[in-house]
Amino acid sequence: MTEISKKGVLLDTKNDIQTSILQFFQNAIEKKIFDAVMLPMKVPSGDSFAWIMIKDLEILKSAQPLAPIMPVNAAKALKRYTRKGKGKYKIAVLMKPCEIRATVELTKLNQVHLEDVTLFSYDCVGALPMQDYIDDPKAGDEKYSKLLTDKNWNYKDVKPVCKICDKFSLSASDLHFALNDQELILLSNREKGEKLLTDLNLKTETTLTKWQKYIEEKKTIKLKNREETFEIIKGMVEGFENLTETFANCIGCHNCSSSCPICYCRQCYFDTSVAKPNSDIVMMRAEDRGAVSLPLDRIMFHTGRMAHMSLSCVSCGLCSDACPVNIPVAKIFSYVASQTQKTFEYSAGASVGDALPMKEYRLDELGELGELVKSAEVQEGSHE
Amino acid sequence: MSEKIGIYVCECGPNIASKVDIEKIMQELAKLEDFKDKELVIKNHKLLCSVEGKKFLEDEINENNLTHLVCAACSPRDHDSTFINVCKKTKLNPYLYQMVNIREQCAWIIPDKEEATSKAIRMIHGGMDRVLYQQPLEEKQLDSNPDVLIIGGGIAGMEAALTLAGKDRAVYLIEKSEILGGKSAKLKELLPRQGVSLNILKQKISDVQSNRYIKVFTNTKLDSVVGFLGNFEIVIKDVTDSNNTTELLAGAVVVATGFDLTDVSSLDSYNTKKEDEVYNAFEIEEMLSQHGKIIMRHGKEPGKVALIHCVGRHEVGYCSKVCCSYLLKIAKMLKDQSAKIEVTELYKHMCLPNKQDETFYEQVQGKGINFIKIKNAEVVGTTINFTDIADAKKKLDVDMIIVGTAMIPAAGTAELGVELKTDQHETGFFQEAHLKIDPVSTNTDGVFVVGGAHGPVGITESMLQAQAAAGKIFTQLIPGQKIIPEIKVSEILEAYCTGCQTCLDVCGFGAIYFDEDKGISVVNEAICRGCGNCVGSCPSGSIRTRHFTNPQLYQEIKEALR
Amino acid sequence: MSKILKTNNPIEQTLKDILKYLLDSKHVSAVFSLRKVNKKGSVDYGLISDVAKLNEIAPLHPIMPANAGQLLGRFTPMNKPVAAVVRPCEFRAFVELAKREQGQMDNFLFITYSCGGVFQLKDQAEDKIKNKLNGYWDSIKKGEIHESIRNSCKTCEHIVPLNSDIFISLVGEENGKIYLNTEKAEKMLKGFEIETKEAKFDEIILKNLLTQRSKYKEEIYSKIDTKDSGLDGLIDIFGKCIGCRGCNTVCPICYCTLCDFDSFNYDYNTPIMEKELAEKGALRLPPDTLFFHLGRLSHMSFSCVGCGMCSDVCPASIPVADVFKKTGEETAGMFDFVAGRRVDEEIPVMIYKEEEFPELGE
Repeated sequence: MTEISKKGVLLDTKNDIQTSILQFFQNAIEKKIFDAVMLPMKVPSGDSFAWIMIKDLEILKSAQPLAPIMPVNAAKALKRYTRKGKGKYKIAVLMKPCEIRATVELTKLNQVHLEDVTLFSYDCVGALPMQDYIDDPKAGDEKYSKLLTDKNWNYKDVKPVCKICDKFSLSASDLHFALNDQELILLSNREKGEKLLTDLNLKTETTLTKWQKYIEEKKTIKLKNREETFEIIKGMVEGFENLTETFANCIGCHNCSSSCPICYCRQCYFDTSVAKPNSDIVMMRAEDRGAVSLPLDRIMFHTGRMAHMSLSCVSCGLCSDACPVNIPVAKIFSYVASQTQKTFEYSAGASVGDALPMKEYRLDELGELGELVKSAEVQEGSHE
Repeated sequence: MSEKIGIYVCECGPNIASKVDIEKIMQELAKLEDFKDKELVIKNHKLLCSVEGKKFLEDEINENNLTHLVCAACSPRDHDSTFINVCKKTKLNPYLYQMVNIREQCAWIIPDKEEATSKAIRMIHGGMDRVLYQQPLEEKQLDSNPDVLIIGGGIAGMEAALTLAGKDRAVYLIEKSEILGGKSAKLKELLPRQGVSLNILKQKISDVQSNRYIKVFTNTKLDSVVGFLGNFEIVIKDVTDSNNTTELLAGAVVVATGFDLTDVSSLDSYNTKKEDEVYNAFEIEEMLSQHGKIIMRHGKEPGKVALIHCVGRHEVGYCSKVCCSYLLKIAKMLKDQSAKIEVTELYKHMCLPNKQDETFYEQVQGKGINFIKIKNAEVVGTTINFTDIADAKKKLDVDMIIVGTAMIPAAGTAELGVELKTDQHETGFFQEAHLKIDPVSTNTDGVFVVGGAHGPVGITESMLQAQAAAGKIFTQLIPGQKIIPEIKVSEILEAYCTGCQTCLDVCGFGAIYFDEDKGISVVNEAICRGCGNCVGSCPSGSIRTRHFTNPQLYQEIKEALR
Repeated sequence: MSKILKTNNPIEQTLKDILKYLLDSKHVSAVFSLRKVNKKGSVDYGLISDVAKLNEIAPLHPIMPANAGQLLGRFTPMNKPVAAVVRPCEFRAFVELAKREQGQMDNFLFITYSCGGVFQLKDQAEDKIKNKLNGYWDSIKKGEIHESIRNSCKTCEHIVPLNSDIFISLVGEENGKIYLNTEKAEKMLKGFEIETKEAKFDEIILKNLLTQRSKYKEEIYSKIDTKDSGLDGLIDIFGKCIGCRGCNTVCPICYCTLCDFDSFNYDYNTPIMEKELAEKGALRLPPDTLFFHLGRLSHMSFSCVGCGMCSDVCPASIPVADVFKKTGEETAGMFDFVAGRRVDEEIPVMIYKEEEFPELGE
């Protein structure tokens, strides 16, 4: 629970949640607290959403703060805006908690800069699979608005990885829109958020106990789903045979990595010339085993990606949305991530202050090696 | 020109030949006839690193017009440079030569001769394929700057400056306090009776100040350093006004920042207040130079004095070398001052490493001083509760306590180490390149460490180190000589770099900087040592180290495992 | 003049026999072909050097997991002879790559066939094609379009690469016919104990299918008339693009190691973004969604072979292939150019002619 606020601001929901949130941002821009806000907006064809950085209040009216799908992880959108150079504008961004986590990870990797950004998150009911929505946007909109108001949160329509997400609520944002079945409560989560509430002259008078209980209930259900799913995934990915079978349909399009917010490399290692052997090597590999599968090293690409990014994987599920051959990439990576993050006692996106395990050296790490070195030094020292 | 690989197998006398079947290797290599359509020259030799062996290799390269060379011999650490130098005498680019270590990696570690031989053959195959993927590299030459920056104007820094200036070498000497002299300036008398310290020191200071090759900056500290041996770009700043900076160029840096003494009040076993009659060495020396004798705060001579050795030794984890003889000196002084003073020395160890110490110890023992060997002591005010070696708990009330406290790195040592990219020992002192064989060098070429910054030392050792560092500089930094920077450096393919700066975090030499305009990381080739840390850290593979490229390593591994 | 192989065996079996012979007799060091890799029906391309492993191949299986032209382009120059069974669009892609120095035809023995199209990868992943295979082969015999194949296959008119070494006529044939088009093919198959005679492939057998396909093409193209609808039309089509670059990654013609649109040329500074934001009031992020597709259209649509990989991998169901193929055909048509038709046919944008664009000279 946040240290700063024990109480939140009850927002008016006369119309609906979307409008209330939109009004909040409109108000904040009018009061010059922010210069622009980044929110999802429907694309002209009406069957998908895009991230739009909005300054114009007229345009803001057509934004839809809570989008039913996640075609692009907000962290990736924000990266393109803040990565290079320093601007003047104060920016607000509303994201799903997994997008906040991705933003935190990218901040550690110098891909996002948060100095001028205020991060808002909300209790996420999950996103619909993008393909389902594109196939029938109208049905998708209905399903989603139902999810937002449904007391019993019916999960069957959301993305598989959202069904097992237990970090769908309060995240490392500055402020958080708490949703329970009736109320919309804005609470501050950082000093930055606290200051904002003061600036906007908002009173934190609403207790959070009811909401907390509500979230805990949902979390319990999700954690149970998560354990069950991981048990199945474990069987699919442990051992080379299983892994090969699971990825048998992979065509090497790399959509999973290019849509992944964490795969921030301009060019994936596995697409660079260093990872492309010449014909002699391909032929040699064919001759060694009688045959070689092409494109080369499709499994290595996935295991390589697990090694490179699973410590920072936030389980947003974009990889699965983007996979043209329906491999459950998101669940697989979510499972692997849970294991690697556990190993390093690290939780992706929990806080900007946590150092990336691969980026820091700790004096106490690999203690057993240190002991060896020490005893060698002592021996060396005694050989006068 | 057709490509021709020369493969030379060294027997290393009996070292390799007795553990690896040289004949078998030659047979197996001969079977290759050609390797990837390249001509091969395959020979073995008793000892390639001998004078005769080097001549043999040189002639072979020339006579056969070799385009690539593989030496299967010992560790590159031993003789890589030997064979590189042989190549340099010929037309063959030294980076088209590869060493295969069949001694440490085969002969010395595999007891079974057949297995060792088979591994040697595989490794030679790997080396042969690797060498074909190597690129000729051209070494660059840079002008070197022969001047020297010395940080710290204590006895060690001054000695280094004078030694260097003695051979007309320009020296910049920076000192953070107002005056030169450092800790030695506080010592009244040097051991044993080698004249009055102040006089020696005064002479040194005036020598330094009047030397036209030495430029002294007092009230000055280091702001930043970038560069390498022969070419350091240095910024120094005024201690009081950090905007007042001066830029200097030098070819080497000598660190002589000295030491501090452990503060007794920081120790758990000492419960003393400022006004208690408890003094450390510096305080005693100050007292001696002010009053000429040891007295209590109210001016009276103490009746009972306890001298405690090894204070803080356990906490810092090392012996400070000089404090035992120092406390003996003080004990003698007290007795010389007045035979009435009861002097007790409480010691755990009596560390007297110098050849004259023992005679002095005996001399002091004859003065009626009470020596008690103890296990530990706790001090409250001027009361000492101690356990002697017979495990008897005892109490001693005295008028004055003088503590022999452990020497610790001077304040700011850690920050200085970071700026100079030098390793630090776990004690916090600077780490020498090698404890035994390279004691005044550091892991950064061109940076040397002397005196108390190096570890607990007395004046003698400080002088030795200062003179040694000057000697090192005379041999490594010769005026007019060109500098050949590391050629096997990393390079960043800017098209792929995403600017996450992970490489900056893992670079131990500060050789990578971030180009804000382009949003990418860039290697400063002059500083890079080619360690490859950055290559491993880059997820997109946009960094490579010359001479250790992926194709080269893959080929070597592939052929070795074939 | 080409020759025809006389065979009474099922055509796929004869093809396998030929490949087996080529490998056995060491005329080739390896065979490049589609293979089935598991019971689920997953397929991949394999480079096979062991004769025993030829049993796994399914050279004519109607799935395209990757454009073979792209795969082969990556591994050339090939220093040992390889027999490659590829679809016409894959062959054409390789020809285009060869023109751009991204592939070398030497050392390949190309075997192509009149292709009935491929199923969508998604259908294969969802196991929807097994019971459609018989119908598929029937439609080929009859020279008809199968309803479940890729859109780009339904509109494909370039299915006879006669300049490949061996060509197998499947469309409209009861049992396929194998034509040896080059001396290389004849030489290699000299020892293959099957009778040959002089014969020339007659395109008349494709007439039915090609008529159906042109009709279908008109229908599809009219739906994406970007010329009339202009920028708004393009935004309508590409607005839902998520920027995954899947189209570009699987495109055999997009051979660049790093796409310009992913390079730092397109990393804008925050102040530049702010300026844009101030002027327009709003800014889509990541930027350049449509620009990327326009850029790709100008970079590669000339050489677009219409294989349809891009549409198949698009997670947002954008009809990428239709737009690119249409644009490519229109621009290439101005120069009487067909992508991948012949190796010696130069790509119009890569040559200068003195007399080009005389109207500009005026």
